[in-house]
Amino acid sequence: MSQERYLEPHQARTRMPTLFEDLLGDSIERAFGEGVTTLPELVAYLNRVGPSGERGEAWTEEGFQALMKRLGD
Amino acid sequence: MNSRTIPISVDPVQTVLDNGLKDLWYPVCPSGFVKDQPVSMKRMGRKLALWRDGAGQVHALEDHCPHRGAPLSQGVILGDRIACPYHGVEVRCDGMVTKVPGSPGCKLEGQHAAKAFHVKEAFGAIFIYNSDDYAKEPKPLVLPEELTSDAYSNFLCYAEWRSDYRYALDNVMDPMHGTFLHKQSHSMSEGDSKASFQVRETDNGFVFEKVGQRGINFDWTEWADTGCHWMRLEIPYPKTGGPGGNFAIVGCVTPINAELCAVFFWRCRKVSDWMRSTWRFLYRNRLEARHWAVLEQDRIMMEQMEPDANSRENLYQHDIGLVRLRRHLKHLAEEQVEASGS
Repeated sequence: MSQERYLEPHQARTRMPTLFEDLLGDSIERAFGEGVTTLPELVAYLNRVGPSGERGEAWTEEGFQALMKRLGD
Repeated sequence: MNSRTIPISVDPVQTVLDNGLKDLWYPVCPSGFVKDQPVSMKRMGRKLALWRDGAGQVHALEDHCPHRGAPLSQGVILGDRIACPYHGVEVRCDGMVTKVPGSPGCKLEGQHAAKAFHVKEAFGAIFIYNSDDYAKEPKPLVLPEELTSDAYSNFLCYAEWRSDYRYALDNVMDPMHGTFLHKQSHSMSEGDSKASFQVRETDNGFVFEKVGQRGINFDWTEWADTGCHWMRLEIPYPKTGGPGGNFAIVGCVTPINAELCAVFFWRCRKVSDWMRSTWRFLYRNRLEARHWAVLEQDRIMMEQMEPDANSRENLYQHDIGLVRLRRHLKHLAEEQVEASGS
């Protein structure tokens, strides 16, 4: 007898990621992969390599932290 | 006991092991599984009815009305009581029948006739105390610092595997499979594939670890009993995971029935500040999917194991961790059977 069982790959997210979030994730991973370990370095990397902020603005430490808090916590 | 099976002989120690040791907390499902309607689920060889009262507190009874055995989970929530859908018999969360509408004053009223379970909700999961005696005070539920300390952040991954729960336990107690089964994964390609292992005692259990290798691959695993049986391990993150501590997993396995088990893996990381929220963003956006792909390799392997595979084995040095755990669990089961006088 086989029964329904729970196998859900995505349990942490509440919706599909946006293209912007995917590009940002790519860039953050690349930055870490290249040895970035501090917030100022990460913000500088994003401003150099992209993507820009959600509304096309330049990244600041505050802006990045606020966005991560919104998307992560 | 399932009435369709007629056992020739039942080994009580085996029965305890099959359904999960008693007097322990077991996670049974993620918190979100129990919302505003009662839920029925099989765990530890039993059918349970779980529901939330108005204050959000979860309660659990055997999903079996003490009157005629109808499923209480089909009934109506009345705060800390549930009314059986069949004849309206009301049962309180401690198992007492508070009302028999069809026969007021009958002797069933006031009896603790239903099987009740203590419930706790913690770290995104609902825990049930697997005891035959509700009146007995449950042990405290203590979980490791990766879950309890603010220095860590975690996500729960829950899955149901078509496997005896002991294969899932064995799998965690066998760090060496990481080097082979998960060699293509994002974090487990490094390290010695012919390591030698040692067992180190801890206050609550033991650590099974590679001699002379730490922080390179899945190099150690810990088993502990702190009112709940849990396991812990660490896997290094690749550089792309960003700054922060190793990736730690706290795992619990709960038997559902002989063919199915519930696995709980809390994925934890010691991260604070912007690194915490950035890890959490990356986890949601992409890391969860990668971790899931690794876990699927385990699941597929566990599900392909024949149920009696562990009765014909030739073990070697890398297996002393799981041998140690099997012996320990068997010993605990023997003690429980002896204590219950059966």
